[in-house]
Amino acid sequence: AGGEDGPSVQATPGRAEVFATVVDTFLEKLVAAGSYQKFANCYRCFYKLQPEVTRSIYDQFISQLQTSVKDEIQEVKNEGNLELLFNSLDKMVEEAKNQEEPAWRPSGIPEEDIRSAMVPYLLKHRSYLRKILKEKEEENRKVAESVLAGRNRIGELQQLIQARKHAWQ
Amino acid sequence: MSVNPMAYEAQFFGFTPQTCMLRIYIAFQDYLFEMMLVVESVILKKLDGFPGCKISTFQIRKSTEKFLLFMKQHFDKLFSKMEEMLLQLVLNIPKNVLLPEDKVHEQYPYSKAQFQALQDEIHQLQQQYRAEASAGQALRAELEEQKAVQAELEKILQWFDGLENICREHGTGNLEESFAFLTQNSKKLQDVLKDVEEKSKKLKQHDQLL
Repeated sequence: AGGEDGPSVQATPGRAEVFATVVDTFLEKLVAAGSYQKFANCYRCFYKLQPEVTRSIYDQFISQLQTSVKDEIQEVKNEGNLELLFNSLDKMVEEAKNQEEPAWRPSGIPEEDIRSAMVPYLLKHRSYLRKILKEKEEENRKVAESVLAGRNRIGELQQLIQARKHAWQ
Repeated sequence: MSVNPMAYEAQFFGFTPQTCMLRIYIAFQDYLFEMMLVVESVILKKLDGFPGCKISTFQIRKSTEKFLLFMKQHFDKLFSKMEEMLLQLVLNIPKNVLLPEDKVHEQYPYSKAQFQALQDEIHQLQQQYRAEASAGQALRAELEEQKAVQAELEKILQWFDGLENICREHGTGNLEESFAFLTQNSKKLQDVLKDVEEKSKKLKQHDQLL
């Protein structure tokens, strides 16, 4: 096989390649089974009468069958965007290769599964609340300081007024 | 034997792999039948060009059926093999693979209790915030009141200072002392008056007794 210096030559063939190979093998074996000998044997009387025509009909039959099969496969690939999906799945498999544990699968109970989906939003909400609470507490601390200072000032003023009052008595 | 529904694969591919294979099977089978019919009709047509031959349509039909049956058997066997390989190698998601859209389940595997705890924490934070907010409002309200009170008190102080200034300007000396002296005197007078009243009362009582 020609060894190319491609950017990334996969050691194991990707899904797209396997798919193509499996289909090709199927076709190969089918054609091999439906050999010309078998065909001619079944249509023996006609073969005896017209051997070249028999051959030509057989060739066309095989060719048409192969074309139809390949076209159908291509259509399925196009409709399902399979080329893309196979490559992306290959990538995911590669990325998960060091993980031995079975991955999460839908439990079938929506209420259970939705919990994890909601968690990121709840975490965001929680950190937002923590932030504004802290800001509010800080703000109130400052206002409380002003209030205390104000009370002191009022006390001062009251004392001064009392002093004046006494002085006038 | 349980049938694997391949639901996760369906989530990824957008179709169930088994359905896909079935579709392909039916399509292939249809083509095979179609091709055989075409072969048969072509042969029959060719035979029409040989008026003298002894080959009947029935014979041709029999030949077609024979070949078709043979092909179908191989077709089914080979397709079954292909299906098995595709379902195992291509159209499947290995057990350890998680689709990217399901990443949250790996990142945040929260149990019911943990989830509830998170919700409770959020609820508590909301309440705390509300409490702080109303505390803040109360503080600010007092601040406003203080401003008004301070203004009043300062006015009174200013009034007192104003009086002092007036007295100083008019040279009446220390008006405060004068006022204080006056109030003391009036107090003394009041005390004296009281004394006198008491004494006269006593005298009257004395008179009555006598």
